[in-house]
Amino acid sequence: MIKFSNVNKNYGEYRALVDINAEVARGEVVVICGPSGSGKSTLIRTVNRLEEIHSGTITFDGRSVHGKMKGSELNHLRSRVGFVFQSFNLFPHLSALENVTLSPVKVNGVKQEMAREKAMMLLDRVGLSSKAKAYPAQLSGGQQQRVAIARALAMEPPAMLFDEPTSALDPEMVGEVLAVMRNLAAEGMTMMCVTHEMGFAREVADRVWFMDAGHILETAEPGTFFSDPQHARAQRFLSDLRH
Amino acid sequence: MLWDLIDIIRDNWLLLLIGQYPNGPLGGFAATLILSTLSIALAFPLSILIAFARLSKNPLLLWPSTVLVYVARGVPLLMLILWVYFMVPLLIGANVPGFVTMLVTLVIYEGAFLSEVVRGGIVALGRGQMETARALGHGYFGAMLYVILPQALYNVMPSILSQFVSAIKETTLGYVINVPELTFAANQINNQLLTQPFQVFFILAIIYFLVCWTLTRLALTLERRIARKRAGMPGIPLSLNPQSQTAEL
Ligand SMILES: Nc1ncnc2c1ncn2[C@@H]1O[C@H](COP(=O)(O)OP(=O)(O)O)[C@@H](O)[C@H]1O
Ligand SMILES: [Mg+2]
Repeated sequence: MIKFSNVNKNYGEYRALVDINAEVARGEVVVICGPSGSGKSTLIRTVNRLEEIHSGTITFDGRSVHGKMKGSELNHLRSRVGFVFQSFNLFPHLSALENVTLSPVKVNGVKQEMAREKAMMLLDRVGLSSKAKAYPAQLSGGQQQRVAIARALAMEPPAMLFDEPTSALDPEMVGEVLAVMRNLAAEGMTMMCVTHEMGFAREVADRVWFMDAGHILETAEPGTFFSDPQHARAQRFLSDLRH
Repeated sequence: MLWDLIDIIRDNWLLLLIGQYPNGPLGGFAATLILSTLSIALAFPLSILIAFARLSKNPLLLWPSTVLVYVARGVPLLMLILWVYFMVPLLIGANVPGFVTMLVTLVIYEGAFLSEVVRGGIVALGRGQMETARALGHGYFGAMLYVILPQALYNVMPSILSQFVSAIKETTLGYVINVPELTFAANQINNQLLTQPFQVFFILAIIYFLVCWTLTRLALTLERRIARKRAGMPGIPLSLNPQSQTAEL
Protein backbone atom coordinates (compact mmCIF):
# COMPACT_ATOMS: atom_id res chain seq x y z
CA MET A 1 0.00 0.00 0.00
CA ILE A 2 2.80 2.41 0.97
CA LYS A 3 6.28 1.50 -0.16
CA PHE A 4 9.58 3.31 0.39
CA SER A 5 12.49 2.28 -1.85
CA ASN A 6 15.97 3.71 -1.25
CA VAL A 7 14.53 7.02 -0.07
CA ASN A 8 16.97 9.77 0.86
CA LYS A 9 16.27 13.30 1.96
CA ASN A 10 18.70 16.01 3.02
CA TYR A 11 18.34 19.39 4.63
CA GLY A 12 21.46 20.98 3.19
CA GLU A 13 24.28 18.83 4.47
CA TYR A 14 22.13 17.14 7.04
CA ARG A 15 20.78 13.71 6.06
CA ALA A 16 17.24 13.61 7.43
CA LEU A 17 16.31 10.29 5.78
CA VAL A 18 18.95 7.72 4.86
CA ASP A 19 18.27 4.78 2.53
CA ILE A 20 14.77 4.11 3.71
CA ASN A 21 13.39 0.78 2.51
CA ALA A 22 10.12 -0.25 4.07
CA GLU A 23 6.57 -1.16 3.26
CA VAL A 24 3.17 -0.80 4.84
CA ALA A 25 0.71 -3.46 3.72
CA ARG A 26 -2.98 -2.76 3.18
CA GLY A 27 -4.81 -2.82 6.50
CA GLU A 28 -1.58 -2.77 8.45
CA VAL A 29 -1.01 -0.47 11.42
CA VAL A 30 2.58 0.72 11.75
CA VAL A 31 3.78 2.67 14.75
CA ILE A 32 6.91 4.72 14.18
CA CYS A 33 8.96 5.63 17.21
CA GLY A 34 12.38 6.97 17.93
CA PRO A 35 14.13 9.86 19.62
CA SER A 36 13.21 13.45 18.84
CA GLY A 37 14.85 14.66 15.61
CA SER A 38 15.30 11.15 14.24
CA GLY A 39 13.23 11.90 11.12
CA LYS A 40 9.81 10.45 11.99
CA SER A 41 7.82 13.50 10.91
CA THR A 42 9.94 13.92 7.82
CA LEU A 43 9.29 10.30 6.89
CA ILE A 44 5.52 10.42 7.05
CA ARG A 45 5.37 13.87 5.48
CA THR A 46 7.07 12.48 2.38
CA VAL A 47 4.14 10.11 1.86
CA ASN A 48 1.76 12.90 0.81
CA ARG A 49 4.63 15.01 -0.47
CA LEU A 50 4.48 17.71 2.16
CA GLU A 51 8.24 17.13 1.99
CA GLU A 52 10.18 16.46 -1.18
CA ILE A 53 12.77 13.67 -1.36
CA HIS A 54 16.13 13.73 -3.09
CA SER A 55 16.35 10.17 -4.32
CA GLY A 56 14.45 6.91 -4.25
CA THR A 57 10.76 6.30 -4.79
CA ILE A 58 7.65 6.21 -2.66
CA THR A 59 4.53 4.55 -3.99
CA PHE A 60 1.10 5.01 -2.50
CA ASP A 61 -1.59 2.58 -3.61
CA GLY A 62 0.51 1.69 -6.65
CA ARG A 63 1.22 5.29 -7.70
CA SER A 64 4.58 6.99 -7.46
CA VAL A 65 4.18 9.99 -5.18
CA HIS A 66 7.30 11.94 -6.11
CA GLY A 67 7.23 11.42 -9.86
CA LYS A 68 6.57 14.22 -12.31
CA MET A 69 2.89 15.10 -12.21
CA LYS A 70 0.51 17.97 -12.72
CA GLY A 71 -0.57 20.05 -9.74
CA SER A 72 -4.08 18.69 -9.99
CA GLU A 73 -2.80 15.11 -9.86
CA LEU A 74 -0.81 15.85 -6.74
CA ASN A 75 -3.89 17.45 -5.16
CA HIS A 76 -5.89 14.36 -5.98
CA LEU A 77 -3.22 12.11 -4.56
CA ARG A 78 -3.05 14.15 -1.36
CA SER A 79 -6.81 14.04 -0.98
CA ARG A 80 -6.46 10.26 -0.70
CA VAL A 81 -3.97 10.35 2.16
CA GLY A 82 -5.50 11.29 5.51
CA PHE A 83 -3.07 13.33 7.57
CA VAL A 84 -3.46 14.25 11.23
CA PHE A 85 -1.13 16.87 12.68
CA GLN A 86 0.24 17.15 16.18
CA SER A 87 -1.23 20.66 16.47
CA PHE A 88 -4.70 19.67 15.09
CA ASN A 89 -4.75 22.64 12.68
CA LEU A 90 -8.51 22.93 12.56
CA PHE A 91 -9.66 25.90 10.50
CA PRO A 92 -10.58 28.35 13.27
CA HIS A 93 -13.03 30.36 11.18
CA LEU A 94 -15.21 27.31 10.50
CA SER A 95 -17.41 25.29 12.81
CA ALA A 96 -16.58 21.65 13.51
CA LEU A 97 -19.13 20.57 10.92
CA GLU A 98 -17.82 23.02 8.32
CA ASN A 99 -14.27 21.84 8.99
CA VAL A 100 -15.39 18.35 8.05
CA THR A 101 -17.51 19.29 5.00
CA LEU A 102 -15.20 21.89 3.41
CA SER A 103 -12.86 19.60 1.52
CA PRO A 104 -15.36 16.98 0.30
CA VAL A 105 -17.43 19.84 -1.14
CA LYS A 106 -14.67 22.03 -2.55
CA VAL A 107 -12.15 19.35 -3.56
CA ASN A 108 -14.31 16.37 -4.49
CA GLY A 109 -17.43 18.24 -5.53
CA VAL A 110 -19.69 16.36 -3.14
CA LYS A 111 -23.13 17.96 -2.75
CA GLN A 112 -23.39 20.10 0.39
CA GLU A 113 -26.34 18.08 1.68
CA MET A 114 -24.57 14.75 1.32
CA ALA A 115 -21.36 16.12 2.77
CA ARG A 116 -23.29 17.30 5.82
CA GLU A 117 -24.92 13.97 6.35
CA LYS A 118 -21.61 12.18 6.04
CA ALA A 119 -19.91 14.71 8.33
CA MET A 120 -22.56 14.23 11.01
CA MET A 121 -21.97 10.50 10.80
CA LEU A 122 -18.23 10.98 11.18
CA LEU A 123 -18.60 13.42 14.05
CA ASP A 124 -20.86 10.88 15.69
CA ARG A 125 -18.21 8.25 15.17
CA VAL A 126 -15.62 10.35 17.01
CA GLY A 127 -18.20 11.11 19.71
CA LEU A 128 -18.75 14.76 18.85
CA SER A 129 -22.08 15.02 17.06
CA SER A 130 -23.25 17.38 19.82
CA LYS A 131 -20.39 19.77 18.98
CA ALA A 132 -21.10 20.08 15.26
CA LYS A 133 -21.88 23.79 15.52
CA ALA A 134 -19.00 24.62 17.89
CA TYR A 135 -15.97 26.54 16.67
CA PRO A 136 -12.50 25.15 17.31
CA ALA A 137 -11.82 27.80 19.97
CA GLN A 138 -14.74 26.37 21.95
CA LEU A 139 -13.39 22.82 21.91
CA SER A 140 -10.81 21.15 24.10
CA GLY A 141 -7.60 19.85 22.57
CA GLY A 142 -8.85 16.28 22.54
CA GLN A 143 -12.09 17.32 20.90
CA GLN A 144 -10.24 19.36 18.29
CA GLN A 145 -8.03 16.42 17.42
CA ARG A 146 -11.05 14.15 17.08
CA VAL A 147 -12.67 16.67 14.72
CA ALA A 148 -9.39 16.76 12.79
CA ILE A 149 -9.55 12.98 12.42
CA ALA A 150 -13.16 13.20 11.24
CA ARG A 151 -12.11 15.89 8.77
CA ALA A 152 -9.42 13.64 7.33
CA LEU A 153 -11.80 10.67 7.18
CA ALA A 154 -14.37 12.72 5.27
CA MET A 155 -12.15 12.44 2.19
CA GLU A 156 -12.49 8.66 2.44
CA PRO A 157 -8.74 8.06 2.33
CA PRO A 158 -7.51 4.48 1.95
CA ALA A 159 -4.77 5.23 4.50
CA MET A 160 -4.26 7.57 7.45
CA LEU A 161 -1.04 9.15 8.70
CA PHE A 162 -0.72 10.48 12.24
CA ASP A 163 2.14 12.71 13.38
CA GLU A 164 2.23 12.54 17.19
CA PRO A 165 -1.54 13.11 17.40
CA THR A 166 -1.60 13.09 21.20
CA SER A 167 1.65 14.89 22.04
CA ALA A 168 0.06 18.32 22.31
CA LEU A 169 -2.74 17.07 24.58
CA ASP A 170 -3.21 17.21 28.31
CA PRO A 171 -2.83 13.68 29.68
CA GLU A 172 -6.52 13.30 30.48
CA MET A 173 -7.42 13.82 26.81
CA VAL A 174 -4.99 11.36 25.30
CA GLY A 175 -7.28 8.41 25.85
CA GLU A 176 -10.23 9.75 23.87
CA VAL A 177 -8.07 10.31 20.79
CA LEU A 178 -6.36 6.93 21.07
CA ALA A 179 -9.78 5.31 21.37
CA VAL A 180 -10.82 6.80 18.05
CA MET A 181 -7.60 5.58 16.45
CA ARG A 182 -8.08 2.14 17.96
CA ASN A 183 -11.53 1.91 16.37
CA LEU A 184 -10.12 2.95 13.03
CA ALA A 185 -7.49 0.25 13.24
CA ALA A 186 -10.13 -2.32 14.17
CA GLU A 187 -12.11 -1.35 11.07
CA GLY A 188 -9.10 -2.26 8.95
CA MET A 189 -7.72 1.19 8.13
CA THR A 190 -4.13 1.27 6.90
CA MET A 191 -2.30 3.51 9.36
CA MET A 192 1.13 5.00 9.96
CA CYS A 193 1.33 6.53 13.42
CA VAL A 194 4.23 8.44 14.85
CA THR A 195 3.59 8.17 18.56
CA HIS A 196 5.26 7.61 21.89
CA GLU A 197 2.17 5.95 23.32
CA MET A 198 3.73 2.56 23.82
CA GLY A 199 0.57 1.06 25.28
CA PHE A 200 -1.19 1.92 22.04
CA ALA A 201 1.69 0.49 20.00
CA ARG A 202 1.70 -2.76 21.94
CA GLU A 203 -2.02 -3.22 21.62
CA VAL A 204 -2.83 -1.91 18.14
CA ALA A 205 0.30 -1.95 15.98
CA ASP A 206 1.09 -4.79 13.60
CA ARG A 207 4.65 -3.57 13.36
CA VAL A 208 6.86 -1.02 15.06
CA TRP A 209 9.48 0.90 13.10
CA PHE A 210 12.27 2.32 15.22
CA MET A 211 14.04 5.32 13.73
CA ASP A 212 17.30 6.94 14.69
CA ALA A 213 19.30 9.65 12.88
CA GLY A 214 17.37 9.24 9.63
CA HIS A 215 17.62 5.44 9.51
CA ILE A 216 14.95 2.85 10.17
CA LEU A 217 17.05 0.75 12.50
CA GLU A 218 14.53 -1.87 13.36
CA THR A 219 11.14 -3.10 12.22
CA ALA A 220 9.50 -5.75 14.35
CA GLU A 221 6.23 -6.91 15.78
CA PRO A 222 5.48 -4.96 18.93
CA GLY A 223 5.84 -8.01 21.18
CA THR A 224 9.32 -8.68 19.89
CA PHE A 225 10.32 -5.02 19.77
CA PHE A 226 9.35 -4.27 23.35
CA SER A 227 10.66 -7.47 24.91
CA ASP A 228 13.77 -7.95 22.81
CA PRO A 229 14.98 -4.85 20.94
CA GLN A 230 18.00 -5.64 18.77
CA HIS A 231 19.80 -2.33 18.58
CA ALA A 232 21.53 -0.66 21.47
CA ARG A 233 19.85 2.62 20.44
CA ALA A 234 16.43 1.01 20.62
CA GLN A 235 17.21 -0.52 24.01
CA ARG A 236 18.28 2.86 25.32
CA PHE A 237 15.21 4.57 23.83
CA LEU A 238 12.87 2.09 25.48
CA SER A 239 14.57 2.30 28.84
CA ASP A 240 14.49 6.12 28.66
CA LEU A 241 10.78 5.94 27.87
CA ARG A 242 10.09 3.79 30.91
CA HIS A 243 11.68 6.29 33.27
CA MET B 1 -15.42 83.96 16.52
CA LEU B 2 -17.93 81.18 17.17
CA TRP B 3 -20.59 83.24 15.36
CA ASP B 4 -18.24 83.64 12.42
CA LEU B 5 -17.92 79.85 12.19
CA ILE B 6 -21.65 79.34 12.39
CA ASP B 7 -22.24 82.05 9.78
CA ILE B 8 -19.74 80.51 7.39
CA ILE B 9 -21.27 77.08 7.80
CA ARG B 10 -24.79 78.41 7.44
CA ASP B 11 -23.96 80.24 4.21
CA ASN B 12 -21.80 77.55 2.66
CA TRP B 13 -22.86 74.18 3.99
CA LEU B 14 -24.16 73.03 0.65
CA LEU B 15 -20.91 73.93 -1.07
CA LEU B 16 -18.96 72.10 1.63
CA LEU B 17 -21.25 69.11 1.32
CA ILE B 18 -21.62 68.64 -2.45
CA GLY B 19 -19.58 71.40 -4.12
CA GLN B 20 -21.28 73.21 -6.99
CA TYR B 21 -23.46 70.27 -7.91
CA PRO B 22 -25.83 70.27 -9.81
CA ASN B 23 -24.51 73.40 -11.56
CA GLY B 24 -21.00 72.02 -11.62
CA PRO B 25 -19.30 68.73 -10.85
CA LEU B 26 -20.08 66.96 -7.61
CA GLY B 27 -17.56 68.19 -5.05
CA GLY B 28 -17.12 68.95 -1.37
CA PHE B 29 -17.38 66.34 1.32
CA ALA B 30 -19.39 64.05 -0.97
CA ALA B 31 -16.56 63.96 -3.50
CA THR B 32 -14.04 63.34 -0.74
CA LEU B 33 -16.05 60.40 0.55
CA ILE B 34 -16.72 58.97 -2.89
CA LEU B 35 -13.09 59.34 -3.90
CA SER B 36 -11.72 57.69 -0.76
CA THR B 37 -14.36 54.93 -0.65
CA LEU B 38 -13.97 54.11 -4.31
CA SER B 39 -10.19 54.14 -4.09
CA ILE B 40 -10.15 51.70 -1.17
CA ALA B 41 -12.84 49.53 -2.76
CA LEU B 42 -10.77 49.20 -5.92
CA ALA B 43 -7.41 49.07 -4.14
CA PHE B 44 -8.54 46.18 -1.94
CA PRO B 45 -8.88 43.48 -4.64
CA LEU B 46 -5.76 44.90 -6.31
CA SER B 47 -3.88 44.58 -3.03
CA ILE B 48 -4.77 40.89 -2.75
CA LEU B 49 -3.36 40.28 -6.22
CA ILE B 50 -0.19 42.21 -5.39
CA ALA B 51 0.15 40.27 -2.13
CA PHE B 52 -0.15 36.96 -4.03
CA ALA B 53 2.51 38.15 -6.47
CA ARG B 54 4.76 39.18 -3.58
CA LEU B 55 4.35 35.75 -2.00
CA SER B 56 4.99 33.95 -5.26
CA LYS B 57 8.28 32.29 -6.10
CA ASN B 58 7.88 33.16 -9.79
CA PRO B 59 10.30 36.05 -10.53
CA LEU B 60 7.99 37.41 -13.21
CA LEU B 61 5.39 38.04 -10.52
CA LEU B 62 7.69 38.70 -7.60
CA TRP B 63 9.88 41.38 -9.14
CA PRO B 64 7.36 43.77 -10.68
CA SER B 65 5.14 43.60 -7.62
CA THR B 66 8.07 44.24 -5.29
CA VAL B 67 9.20 47.21 -7.36
CA LEU B 68 5.65 48.59 -7.35
CA VAL B 69 5.38 48.31 -3.58
CA TYR B 70 8.78 49.88 -2.97
CA VAL B 71 8.17 52.74 -5.36
CA ALA B 72 4.74 53.48 -3.95
CA ARG B 73 6.09 53.45 -0.43
CA GLY B 74 9.26 55.35 -1.22
CA VAL B 75 7.84 58.25 -3.21
CA PRO B 76 5.65 61.10 -1.87
CA LEU B 77 2.05 60.70 -2.95
CA LEU B 78 2.04 64.21 -4.38
CA MET B 79 4.76 63.18 -6.81
CA LEU B 80 2.77 60.16 -7.94
CA ILE B 81 -0.23 62.40 -8.51
CA LEU B 82 1.79 64.80 -10.65
CA TRP B 83 3.26 61.91 -12.60
CA VAL B 84 -0.13 60.45 -13.40
CA TYR B 85 -1.49 63.94 -14.07
CA PHE B 86 1.14 64.80 -16.67
CA MET B 87 2.05 61.37 -18.05
CA VAL B 88 -1.28 59.62 -18.53
CA PRO B 89 -2.66 62.23 -21.01
CA LEU B 90 0.59 61.94 -22.97
CA LEU B 91 0.35 58.17 -23.01
CA ILE B 92 -3.29 57.86 -24.01
CA GLY B 93 -3.45 61.07 -26.01
CA ALA B 94 -6.55 62.42 -24.31
CA ASN B 95 -7.33 64.62 -21.37
CA VAL B 96 -8.26 62.86 -18.19
CA PRO B 97 -10.55 64.49 -15.62
CA GLY B 98 -8.83 65.36 -12.34
CA PHE B 99 -11.16 63.08 -10.44
CA VAL B 100 -10.09 60.08 -12.50
CA THR B 101 -6.42 60.99 -12.24
CA MET B 102 -6.75 61.20 -8.49
CA LEU B 103 -8.68 57.94 -8.31
CA VAL B 104 -6.14 56.02 -10.39
CA THR B 105 -3.25 57.35 -8.34
CA LEU B 106 -4.94 56.54 -5.06
CA VAL B 107 -5.84 53.02 -6.19
CA ILE B 108 -2.24 52.25 -7.08
CA TYR B 109 -0.88 53.90 -3.96
CA GLU B 110 -3.39 52.39 -1.54
CA GLY B 111 -3.16 49.06 -3.37
CA ALA B 112 0.57 48.93 -2.73
CA PHE B 113 0.16 49.82 0.94
CA LEU B 114 -2.75 47.45 1.51
CA SER B 115 -0.88 44.63 -0.21
CA GLU B 116 1.70 44.74 2.55
CA VAL B 117 -1.07 44.61 5.13
CA VAL B 118 -2.69 41.65 3.40
CA ARG B 119 0.63 39.89 2.95
CA GLY B 120 1.38 40.42 6.64
CA GLY B 121 -1.98 38.92 7.52
CA ILE B 122 -1.29 35.85 5.40
CA VAL B 123 2.23 35.36 6.73
CA ALA B 124 1.06 35.78 10.33
CA LEU B 125 -1.20 32.73 9.99
CA GLY B 126 1.88 30.55 9.77
CA ARG B 127 2.43 27.53 7.57
CA GLY B 128 0.15 25.11 9.37
CA GLN B 129 -3.16 26.23 7.89
CA MET B 130 -1.90 26.20 4.31
CA GLU B 131 -0.20 22.86 4.84
CA THR B 132 -3.34 21.32 6.29
CA ALA B 133 -5.48 22.56 3.43
CA ARG B 134 -3.00 21.23 0.88
CA ALA B 135 -2.85 17.90 2.70
CA LEU B 136 -6.63 17.65 2.32
CA GLY B 137 -6.23 18.07 -1.44
CA HIS B 138 -6.98 21.77 -1.96
CA GLY B 139 -4.93 23.51 -4.61
CA TYR B 140 -2.98 26.66 -3.75
CA PHE B 141 -5.77 29.02 -4.74
CA GLY B 142 -8.47 26.88 -3.19
CA ALA B 143 -6.56 26.88 0.07
CA MET B 144 -6.13 30.65 -0.16
CA LEU B 145 -9.79 31.22 -0.96
CA TYR B 146 -11.41 28.96 1.61
CA VAL B 147 -8.86 28.77 4.40
CA ILE B 148 -6.21 31.51 4.37
CA LEU B 149 -7.91 34.67 3.11
CA PRO B 150 -11.04 34.44 5.28
CA GLN B 151 -8.81 34.40 8.33
CA ALA B 152 -6.11 36.79 7.12
CA LEU B 153 -8.51 39.44 5.83
CA TYR B 154 -10.63 39.23 8.96
CA ASN B 155 -7.55 39.76 11.10
CA VAL B 156 -6.37 42.79 9.13
CA MET B 157 -9.76 44.51 8.95
CA PRO B 158 -8.65 47.17 11.46
CA SER B 159 -5.62 47.97 9.32
CA ILE B 160 -7.78 48.22 6.24
CA LEU B 161 -10.07 50.61 8.06
CA SER B 162 -7.14 52.77 9.09
CA GLN B 163 -5.89 52.74 5.54
CA PHE B 164 -9.30 54.13 4.64
CA VAL B 165 -8.69 56.95 7.12
CA SER B 166 -5.39 57.67 5.38
CA ALA B 167 -7.15 57.68 2.04
CA ILE B 168 -9.58 60.32 3.27
CA LYS B 169 -6.71 62.52 4.32
CA GLU B 170 -4.85 61.85 1.09
CA THR B 171 -7.74 63.02 -1.07
CA THR B 172 -6.89 66.58 0.05
CA LEU B 173 -3.93 66.41 -2.33
CA GLY B 174 -6.42 66.32 -5.18
CA TYR B 175 -6.53 70.06 -4.57
CA VAL B 176 -3.29 70.57 -6.51
CA ILE B 177 -4.81 69.16 -9.69
CA ASN B 178 -8.13 70.94 -9.16
CA VAL B 179 -10.22 67.98 -8.06
CA PRO B 180 -13.30 69.60 -6.55
CA GLU B 181 -13.26 67.85 -3.18
CA LEU B 182 -13.71 69.18 0.34
CA THR B 183 -10.45 71.12 0.60
CA PHE B 184 -11.10 72.63 -2.80
CA ALA B 185 -14.54 73.77 -1.64
CA ALA B 186 -13.08 75.29 1.50
CA ASN B 187 -10.59 77.22 -0.55
CA GLN B 188 -13.38 78.52 -2.77
CA ILE B 189 -15.16 79.82 0.31
CA ASN B 190 -11.98 81.40 1.52
CA ASN B 191 -11.50 83.13 -1.80
CA GLN B 192 -15.00 84.60 -1.56
CA LEU B 193 -14.69 85.78 2.02
CA LEU B 194 -11.06 86.89 1.74
CA THR B 195 -10.81 87.97 5.39
CA GLN B 196 -11.48 84.83 7.39
CA PRO B 197 -8.92 82.17 6.39
CA PHE B 198 -8.45 80.98 9.95
CA GLN B 199 -12.16 80.35 10.46
CA VAL B 200 -12.61 78.64 7.12
CA PHE B 201 -9.70 76.28 7.49
CA PHE B 202 -10.60 75.64 11.11
CA ILE B 203 -13.96 74.33 9.92
CA LEU B 204 -12.18 72.24 7.34
CA ALA B 205 -9.88 70.74 9.96
CA ILE B 206 -12.81 69.99 12.27
CA ILE B 207 -14.65 68.10 9.54
CA TYR B 208 -11.64 65.96 8.64
CA PHE B 209 -10.88 65.37 12.27
CA LEU B 210 -14.40 64.25 13.19
CA VAL B 211 -14.64 61.82 10.32
CA CYS B 212 -11.17 60.37 10.74
CA TRP B 213 -11.38 60.23 14.51
CA THR B 214 -14.69 58.36 14.35
CA LEU B 215 -13.28 55.85 11.91
CA THR B 216 -10.13 55.39 13.95
CA ARG B 217 -12.20 54.71 17.06
CA LEU B 218 -14.15 52.19 15.03
CA ALA B 219 -10.92 50.53 13.91
CA LEU B 220 -9.69 50.31 17.49
CA THR B 221 -12.96 48.81 18.69
CA LEU B 222 -12.83 46.32 15.88
CA GLU B 223 -9.22 45.48 16.67
CA ARG B 224 -10.04 44.82 20.32
CA ARG B 225 -12.95 42.63 19.38
CA ILE B 226 -10.79 40.62 17.01
CA ALA B 227 -8.01 40.32 19.58
CA ARG B 228 -10.54 39.01 22.10
CA LYS B 229 -11.88 36.51 19.63
CA ARG B 230 -8.41 35.48 18.56
CA ALA B 231 -7.36 34.88 22.15
CA GLY B 232 -9.63 31.87 22.15
CA MET B 233 -8.34 30.55 18.83
CA PRO B 234 -5.25 28.40 19.05
CA GLY B 235 -5.01 28.27 15.26
CA ILE B 236 -3.98 31.89 15.08
CA PRO B 237 -0.69 32.77 16.73
CA LEU B 238 -1.03 35.51 19.31
CA SER B 239 2.63 36.33 19.61
CA LEU B 240 3.02 37.48 16.02
CA ASN B 241 0.92 40.50 16.57
CA PRO B 242 1.80 42.12 19.87
CA GLN B 243 1.40 45.69 18.69
CA SER B 244 -1.63 47.61 17.74
CA GLN B 245 -2.23 47.50 14.00
CA THR B 246 -4.06 50.77 14.14
CA ALA B 247 -2.09 53.96 14.45
CA GLU B 248 -3.63 56.50 16.77
CA LEU B 249 -4.57 59.67 14.95
N1 LIG C 1 12.85 22.47 7.36
C1 LIG C 1 13.96 21.94 7.93
N2 LIG C 1 15.17 22.47 7.68
C2 LIG C 1 16.28 21.95 8.22
N3 LIG C 1 16.29 20.88 9.04
C3 LIG C 1 15.13 20.29 9.33
C4 LIG C 1 13.89 20.80 8.79
N4 LIG C 1 12.89 20.01 9.24
C5 LIG C 1 13.46 19.08 10.04
N5 LIG C 1 14.80 19.25 10.08
C6 LIG C 1 15.74 18.40 10.80
O1 LIG C 1 15.57 17.08 10.37
C7 LIG C 1 15.65 16.19 11.47
C8 LIG C 1 14.43 15.31 11.54
O2 LIG C 1 13.33 16.10 11.90
P1 LIG C 1 11.89 15.47 12.20
O3 LIG C 1 11.52 14.60 11.06
O4 LIG C 1 10.98 16.59 12.51
O5 LIG C 1 12.18 14.59 13.48
P2 LIG C 1 11.15 13.90 14.48
O6 LIG C 1 9.78 14.06 13.93
O7 LIG C 1 11.60 12.48 14.53
O8 LIG C 1 11.33 14.56 15.80
C9 LIG C 1 15.86 17.03 12.71
O9 LIG C 1 17.22 17.02 13.06
C10 LIG C 1 15.45 18.41 12.28
O10 LIG C 1 16.24 19.38 12.96
MG1 LIG D 1 8.11 15.10 14.73
